[in-house]
Amino acid sequence: MSSPQSWQVDVLEVAQKCVYCGYCSICPTYKELKWEVYHPRGILDQIKLYFSEGTKDKVKTEVSKQLFESVFQCTVCRACEDICVVDLPLLKVWEQVRQEAFKRGRWNPKLLALYNKVKDTHNIYGLPTEERVSWAPLSGMDMSRRTLKKAPLAYFVGCQASYSGKMGGIAEGVVKILRKAKVNFTILGTEEWCCGSPIFLAGGFTVGKNFAKHNLEQLKKLGVKRVVTACSGCYRAFKVVYPRVLGDKWNIEVLHISELINELLSKNKLTIKKSIKEKVTFKDPCELVRHCGLSEAPREVIKKIPNVRYEELPSNREDALCCGGGGLLKLNNEDLVKEVNSKLISEIEYTEADIVVNGCPTCLDTIQQGVKQRELDVEVLDLAEFIKRMVVD
Amino acid sequence: MTLKKKVRAKFVKHLGKQFREDDTSLRVYSRDMSDLPSLTKIFFKNTPDAIILPKTVDEVQKLYELATENKVAITPRSGGTTGFGGSVTYNKGIILDVKGLESETLIEPIDQSVTVSPSIIFSELQRYLKLNGFSLCSFPSSFYSATVGGWIAHGGYGIGSAKYGGALEQILSLEVVLPTGKLVEYTEREDIELYVGSNGTLGLITKIKLKIKFDIPLKHFACTFDSPQQLVVGLKELSSVDPYAVWFFNPKHVEELNEAYGYTLPDRYLVILTKEISFEEEESEFHTLFNQAIRRAEGEILDKRYTANIFDIRFQTLSILKNYKDFLINEVILPVEKSGKYLQKLISSFNGLLHLEGELIGDSHYALLMYLYFEEEQSQLNKLLHNLKMYKNVVKGIKANGYPYSTGLWYAGYYPAIYGKSQYKKYKDFKKVVDPKNISNPGKVISPRFRIFPLIKLKTAFKIACRFVL
Repeated sequence: MSSPQSWQVDVLEVAQKCVYCGYCSICPTYKELKWEVYHPRGILDQIKLYFSEGTKDKVKTEVSKQLFESVFQCTVCRACEDICVVDLPLLKVWEQVRQEAFKRGRWNPKLLALYNKVKDTHNIYGLPTEERVSWAPLSGMDMSRRTLKKAPLAYFVGCQASYSGKMGGIAEGVVKILRKAKVNFTILGTEEWCCGSPIFLAGGFTVGKNFAKHNLEQLKKLGVKRVVTACSGCYRAFKVVYPRVLGDKWNIEVLHISELINELLSKNKLTIKKSIKEKVTFKDPCELVRHCGLSEAPREVIKKIPNVRYEELPSNREDALCCGGGGLLKLNNEDLVKEVNSKLISEIEYTEADIVVNGCPTCLDTIQQGVKQRELDVEVLDLAEFIKRMVVD
Repeated sequence: MTLKKKVRAKFVKHLGKQFREDDTSLRVYSRDMSDLPSLTKIFFKNTPDAIILPKTVDEVQKLYELATENKVAITPRSGGTTGFGGSVTYNKGIILDVKGLESETLIEPIDQSVTVSPSIIFSELQRYLKLNGFSLCSFPSSFYSATVGGWIAHGGYGIGSAKYGGALEQILSLEVVLPTGKLVEYTEREDIELYVGSNGTLGLITKIKLKIKFDIPLKHFACTFDSPQQLVVGLKELSSVDPYAVWFFNPKHVEELNEAYGYTLPDRYLVILTKEISFEEEESEFHTLFNQAIRRAEGEILDKRYTANIFDIRFQTLSILKNYKDFLINEVILPVEKSGKYLQKLISSFNGLLHLEGELIGDSHYALLMYLYFEEEQSQLNKLLHNLKMYKNVVKGIKANGYPYSTGLWYAGYYPAIYGKSQYKKYKDFKKVVDPKNISNPGKVISPRFRIFPLIKLKTAFKIACRFVL
């Protein structure tokens, strides 16, 4: 199992390796804020000063004001790290600076409140644990026979699909698809804890690790070999963060719902007979495509719909635009989320698509707001909701 | 220049939140790609007094008026991605960050042009053009970070310059805010050329109309040469086959490419030629032309398997730097004719340690990037000495009918060498008219007085340093 030390990088060393080429000007929030103090290379410049031993306390204090502000304007979309010519592990750096801000008591109250909510109630909304499965009765489903039962596959619902009224259709969609394909699966019910993603994003290693350990224990108890999720944040946590935190103990295969549906379709356990008139596009969530390299499965699924009119967004796959909702930015700068999102909405408008399919509840919510604001006649759906319409409804 | 309270208040009143003067911001804006060795900082006051980020042309006009009225230096800055110091202050003053100036990108398909704001990044513009079936004619290798305004201001060249020329040849019109605050539009070449390579010393470019072309597929061909002399003969021959781009390396750099990207390229001078080719027949015809040119230059054609996907690393060659603790870069423009000897001397003066990467920028010249990589972090003194040595070699290039790539801060005073004496005269006359108080990026283009010993110019100080220190 890894320790906080092995998790961390020498932020000063990383900053000193920056060659200042400026390729990271691709950063979606820098593009909106425009001051170079928000430019990833500008943040690295501040890090050099803040973390250097020779820097006077007065200067450190002065730099920290801007540095901590800058690092929380990041959506963790990973575009900077992907384009970096010298392969700097920038996300780890941003995480550690956020952690440093926590240590210095410099988190904004909203962020701190979220952190405490997750820590105390194990979900991002601070709601009672019993309500974690309330999405099922609301969708007219009885999940009692599927809850905490031994099964090879677990569906990890995630906080947003469990608690948010806007996202309830996602869990319903996943469950109905799995039932239709006669898959033997379980859910963790009230034993499901937040994947810990918001905690890790905020820079909380030790607390986050407890979440990872708890979820692993629950999955192991049920003999789970594979875990599927429709949330790209949970997917990233399982795929990237848990192996780093738990080491070899995390030996559960992780699937995004798009991968599982694709597998079921390929094995003829699921068939899409309905065709669709509307034009469809897919927005790659940053956490799927840039963090985990998953881009083809959702497309393959959509393209299996008879007569589907599919069009890519101008920026797609690894070049996909960020929706602006990641990295806890909604808690730090809501206006900036809207500005970042506006560019994505323009691309959606450009495709003239009727339906935007997505694989991330955070993107879904942000895109829905953007579409509403622009008064576009576009339906925004999670892949699970969309496929459920094709195979179940 | 340090901002006086009353003057500062005027700028703050005008720009409000778009005015910054906190120490952290000032530090971030005190450098470009080449961080000045701290030893040199006694010569320059590269930390500005303030930074401004205007969002409209009206704001730019007003702030230039204020700057002229109060004699405050304004240094325009866009991507801050070159290493010539053009976007860094020489003696404090205000940095004008053009990133706030955004406007709609307008393609005019009939006359094949696009109108853009100076802050647009090349990769974004090219992506937009490609979506519409067009392409830029020429663009810099710092494609993912350089802005169109910055490229013009430092007189850039790049990929495609072999066929379409440099920044000057791409511009159809420029909208400029003069240092007096007046807004003007230039469409004549004789006016436009004053703004290419003049580092924003004649005001700020606020809108640019560029030539564009149809997006024609590019095909790549490779060949090798045994010596620098053979290489320049080869470049001459290749320039006659109407290439889109010609990119080349010395053996030392080829070695790095092999190591970094897993190629097995031969240990010779490697040239990659790119050609716009629409049809298969055109490709086979070009093969013949290419073969003949290489044969005449006594070079060797390289099988395509050796260079598969090499154009994909066109914008990634800086990634080699990750294997080193320190590096230095400089750039010079050289004539294709008779520069073989200069190249030979250049390589031997660095004991074969110099990495060279070049690009043909027309029929007669090529741009040559010189890199020095260090496995150990260099002391400030060592860095300064190596920098001076590179500088000396760039200046030596003038004797070989070459010239520095750009003036910026480092090569202020070399404008006549780059653009000719008659254009320099024209530039100076124009500067007197539009910027009588010399507030627009002072210290660039025309060499400033050496701060420590103002009897001499900075250019002379560098020359003396090269002569006596090295």
